[in-house]
Amino acid sequence: MLGIALSELLGAPVLDPGGRTQGRVREVAVCPQADTARVCGLIVKTKQGDRLLSPEGLAEISGGAVRANAPAEEWAPFTSSEGMLLLGRDLLDQQIIDVHGRKVVRVNDLDFHQEQVNHHLVLKVGDVDVGARGAVRRLLKGIVPAGALHALTQKLPPRVIPWEFVDLIETDPARRVKLKIEHERLSRLHPADIADIVEDLAPAEREAVFETLDEQVAADALEEVDPKLQVSIVQSLDSDRAADIVEEMGPDAAADLLADLSKEQSDKILEEMEPAEREEISELLEFKENTAAGRMTTDYLALAPTATVNDAIEALRKFEGGIEGVSTIFLVDKDNKPVGAVPLASLVLASSGTPLSTLAPGPPISCLAGTREKEVAELFDKYNLLMLPVVDGQGVLTGVITADDVISLLRSKL
Amino acid sequence: MNWLRRWKTRILIFAAVVGPGFITANVDNDAGGITTYSQAGAQFGYMLLWTMIPTTLALIVVQEMASRMGAVTGKGLSDLIREEFGFRITFLMMLGLVITNFGNVLAEFSGIALSLELFGVPKYISVPVCAVIVWLMVVKGTYKSVEKIFLVASFIYVTYIVAGLIARPEWKLALVATVKPPELSVFAHSAYLYMVIGVVGTTIAPWMQFYLQASIVEKGITPRQYGASRLDVISGCVFTDIVAWFIIVACAATLFAHGMFEIRNGADAAQALKPLAGNYAYILFTVGLFNASLFAASVLPISTAYAVCEGLGLESGVGKKFSEAPFFYWLYTALIAVGAGVILIPNVPLIQITVLSQVVNGITLPFVLIFMLLLINKKELMGSYTNSRFFNWVAWATTVVMIGLTLAWFWTLHQG
Repeated sequence: MLGIALSELLGAPVLDPGGRTQGRVREVAVCPQADTARVCGLIVKTKQGDRLLSPEGLAEISGGAVRANAPAEEWAPFTSSEGMLLLGRDLLDQQIIDVHGRKVVRVNDLDFHQEQVNHHLVLKVGDVDVGARGAVRRLLKGIVPAGALHALTQKLPPRVIPWEFVDLIETDPARRVKLKIEHERLSRLHPADIADIVEDLAPAEREAVFETLDEQVAADALEEVDPKLQVSIVQSLDSDRAADIVEEMGPDAAADLLADLSKEQSDKILEEMEPAEREEISELLEFKENTAAGRMTTDYLALAPTATVNDAIEALRKFEGGIEGVSTIFLVDKDNKPVGAVPLASLVLASSGTPLSTLAPGPPISCLAGTREKEVAELFDKYNLLMLPVVDGQGVLTGVITADDVISLLRSKL
Repeated sequence: MNWLRRWKTRILIFAAVVGPGFITANVDNDAGGITTYSQAGAQFGYMLLWTMIPTTLALIVVQEMASRMGAVTGKGLSDLIREEFGFRITFLMMLGLVITNFGNVLAEFSGIALSLELFGVPKYISVPVCAVIVWLMVVKGTYKSVEKIFLVASFIYVTYIVAGLIARPEWKLALVATVKPPELSVFAHSAYLYMVIGVVGTTIAPWMQFYLQASIVEKGITPRQYGASRLDVISGCVFTDIVAWFIIVACAATLFAHGMFEIRNGADAAQALKPLAGNYAYILFTVGLFNASLFAASVLPISTAYAVCEGLGLESGVGKKFSEAPFFYWLYTALIAVGAGVILIPNVPLIQITVLSQVVNGITLPFVLIFMLLLINKKELMGSYTNSRFFNWVAWATTVVMIGLTLAWFWTLHQG
């Protein structure tokens, strides 16, 4: 028997070298600080209380029984589960994130790989079973004889997730640190996928994920989350952490989010932010949400008409905003009024010394701060825009609207 | 000004969370419920009205727990049962729920058939058409629009209140009977006891707890908004039982007063009302029965599909596409299609089916209530939102009384 399932292991009798029953397996522990997959001990319920059977003391597992190298008196008494992932309690029936399949799933069972090393047995978590095989095994365990059940479940098609693609969710922050749960694999997914996963979780678990994720990743993901959920997530975080995340969001998305919070809450978050970001967002907050100004962002590139392609590329390198804000580079006069727009594509095709003014076909299409959303969408459609500059009454450039925001807007109306 | 603004905020918060509690409580007055209430009024006049106040309290207590668990944990009831009690118990619970709710779906479709037959529509047309409407409404609509349809449907129950008014009951007698139970000697009559158990038993059903908690979660209600959500639950329960009160009163003032004690179902009651209370009362009663059956037929299959998929860890949600949540949609579709199909079989014993569905309801309910009480008292789950001692006391008493009544009811069934 090569593989063994967690549900087969839990409750299995543990025998000493002489074949006498010493107790039954109560839990299977992994110590993630040492090794994220290797079992670091079996917690065995014996007559002398709970004891920890270390991997070195484990001889073999066969015929539904665990064989130890020594009798129970020689195993260490089990004192604390600190730093241990208890697979039965923490994983069976709980939700995990399948990083490969990009969704939240519920664990039916766990499969271990066994390996014989120097007279003892090394158990490693192999796969998490989320399909019918684990379900049937759990359902019929103890009702159908073990051998027959094993044969039956082997016939069922497995639906498993390899252990390395599993991200655990732990709502207790202290335990998260001890168990090394960092959501490192989750944070490598596309922000939109992270958002979908987070939407499937319960509020406390959502909070746990957002507390753990890197600020930039958390901000990108939060932008993609449904606005109503954004609010409840930000409300659940402390204002310090919320400010760190909101700072990393695009100013337009951040302003939209803060506008949905109560005045008291948004002020608290603004207070915690860096002065530059705070000012930018405060300005955006002044605008009505369903106008051009309410949709615009202040992350964009504006250069003098005399600048060359080289200057533009230099500015691009230093640009800190999101990638959606660089598809067009605007040219402004000394009063900061837009006089031209250079598409990124023209920039790439031109030689480095070319003045930008020769790449701008004419004065750019722009709209006023108070323009209605519907007209903004019409302008994007009519002129095939990727970005639209927004100007105030004097014609001074105050922000830009990007195409991704218009798509979100249109989708919300579909 | 400040006062006005505060009230405006309160009303806005309430408007944002209203729905789940109100809808769940109202679906409780389904075809089976209306039948029981009509029978209670026809057979015993005003003598069962006193049960309305205690059952309303019990209903509020149980529904409040479900909605609180939903708001605090953000998880459905079957999710919680799975996480705390393991796979096998969850599986058995879900199996029981599917069987129970399938029985209820049958009862609802028979309600549709009976009510529309009174308007001259044969069941071979009404049942398939309604099945398709129900299916489309939930699958093709978004949760928001479906919820709005359900909320509007809740108000059609007002027809029963109007029918009660038309029936010209003796108000003073009815009101006194509402607060004052009859003499003890009345309880010795097994028929009366049987009816008491029926009225109480039809009030709290297993599916309601799953549905309510799931809709609270789907709506994204948080502990912050919980106060308003509680108001939604309480007002729903009160409205529901006011409707039930009027059904009993209407039947008492007409059928009981004229010695027509024997009615078999809600449609029977409507028909018997015709010569006694006039055409309007008859039409209102029939429309009420049709709405109640259609309403419950829309809610039950979807609540079952939700609960089962959550518990077994399968994808679910009306927001998902068919390919994303195949089992969810298949189960939902099968419950409706098979439920409607059985009713279409000629000479199918509708009444026995209804009784059987209530028996399974009764068997499943104690387990659900006990699981709920165990869950809601877990500190690591509910934090500071566990039951207070007083509330626990009331809830356990409700559970024990429900179990006792169910057992007593089985006993009366056995006695035949």
